[in-house]
Amino acid sequence: MRLVIANCTVDYSGRLDAHLPQAIRLIMVKADGCIAIHADGGAYKPLNWMNAPNNVRELEEEDELTWIVTNPKGEQLTIQIHEILSDVAHDMGSDPGLEKDGVEAHLQELLAANIGDVCAGMVLVRREYPTDIGPVDLLCRDSNDAAVAIEIKRRGEIDGVEQLSRYLDYLNRDGNLRPVSGIFAAQEIKPQARVLAEDRGIECLVLNYDELRGIESNELKLF
Amino acid sequence: MKFRCERDALVEQLSTASRAVSSRGGALPVLTGIHLKAHKETLTMTGSDLEITVRASVAVDVKESGEAVLPSRIVVDIIRSLDSGAVEVEVSGEEAKISGGRSQFSVRTLPVDDFPALSDPSGDQVTVATADLAAGLKQVVRAASGDDARPILTGVLMSAEDGGLRLVATDSYRLAVRDLPEATVLSEGQKVLVPSRALDELSRVLGDSEEVNVRLGEREVSFDVSIEDGAVQVTTRLIEGEFPNYRQLIPSSYPNQLTIGREPLLEAVRRVKLMARDTTPLRITQKSDSVELMAVTQDVGQAHEEVDAQYSGDELTVAFNPDYLIQGLEAAPGDEVILETLDALKPAVLRSSEGGDFLYLLMPVRVS
Repeated sequence: MRLVIANCTVDYSGRLDAHLPQAIRLIMVKADGCIAIHADGGAYKPLNWMNAPNNVRELEEEDELTWIVTNPKGEQLTIQIHEILSDVAHDMGSDPGLEKDGVEAHLQELLAANIGDVCAGMVLVRREYPTDIGPVDLLCRDSNDAAVAIEIKRRGEIDGVEQLSRYLDYLNRDGNLRPVSGIFAAQEIKPQARVLAEDRGIECLVLNYDELRGIESNELKLF
Repeated sequence: MKFRCERDALVEQLSTASRAVSSRGGALPVLTGIHLKAHKETLTMTGSDLEITVRASVAVDVKESGEAVLPSRIVVDIIRSLDSGAVEVEVSGEEAKISGGRSQFSVRTLPVDDFPALSDPSGDQVTVATADLAAGLKQVVRAASGDDARPILTGVLMSAEDGGLRLVATDSYRLAVRDLPEATVLSEGQKVLVPSRALDELSRVLGDSEEVNVRLGEREVSFDVSIEDGAVQVTTRLIEGEFPNYRQLIPSSYPNQLTIGREPLLEAVRRVKLMARDTTPLRITQKSDSVELMAVTQDVGQAHEEVDAQYSGDELTVAFNPDYLIQGLEAAPGDEVILETLDALKPAVLRSSEGGDFLYLLMPVRVS
């Protein structure tokens, strides 16, 4: 990773033309060739960037340095560097990757472990209950012993409702389970997904990840 | 294909093979059927879901050799329902005629060419005494998990241990270990993970047989058992993956040791469990000369019982899932058991006071 803080002017030409007037900015050159130009503000989004693979040529004319960054799509970033304030490089090695808190598998695990606390009277039959078109996240029985299929998403969108509808269609063909109702559970449910779910008689359940994690289980485990 | 057989012998072997038949069939609908092959006075029946295959054979009067695949559930139900005595099955084209007494059924067959060719493991055959293996499986298989979300825990670890065989299973709440010092199935350092479902099926068929022939392949293992009316072979895929390191969970010594009659404790736990509804744990308070069992379910009631025991250590109350405790007590051999505890939140060990080859590690339940 090379980090250059410089007084620079940047011009981009490609899908559109864009100009960044002269100012002090951070230029990030990543090991894979990605280049991003950041202002001293904003959370994460660069002012301009070019994804790898890139070709970088450095030209020096009349004491002024210019980087010409091109990629196979014909896009070009021209960075005129008027003054370099800092130029450091670090070998960061390989990255272990991002572990997202609250991914679906963990949400599924938490909801399965605490299903009775979240839905009163509900008991878990099985996680990853198999159907011919794939496993439904949770199959449960409610307080009336009726089967309930639960599909869990981080973000509840229309696709998720469609998926649960297909599972319900299959599960309701099984005479041992029928009638099977559905619950669409997610940390956030989009209004369109909620309308579609409710139109199809599917209950929506918003999961509070922190709250779920906070439910202290009495079950201690060996592993 | 045409054969004639006594109903009782046929239905028993047919039921055995059908237990491996896939209930759904999935991508291969023919797997909802049972494959029959009549050849040289023997009928071989094969049921499989591709993970577990059970092949059962029985002596029959073969009038015409051949093979067919019949829908499993309906055929088992038909043959079981027939009057005791001779049953005749004749398959021609896409139709199977089943007759016994004055009943006649006609069943459409499934395409025999679609039934997968199921090969046997290629490894060397090893013979194990049935009595040891049956006892070990009975003690250990019950501790395996039924949750397919953690497939490793649905298996029973079979590993070579001091020249014998060690069986280990856990569902993460309890762990059962049984050593079979006389069973030399694996070479030193070798270990395999066998689906508990397959071993459960094997336990059912072991019966009065004296020996089990085990053949271990790279990815499969098969168990051959000779029984009174024929033979049964259970073949299963091995589970790939690393079994949890269970050895680190077993401390070398425990400060608290309870020695108690196995049967009196088992009966008391069963009684007190009547008041332990749903997930209610059973509390055990260990005192110097007795143990007090207690279960409380709000809005229902509570149960107390005291059982004589010898205890060394500080007075300690520890709670367990009563079902797991019962299963451990049922599996432990001998008249007297030792329950060793560290504290209320660390795993406890249950074993026979006579020592022996069985150990049951049980995780307590947190109580306020």
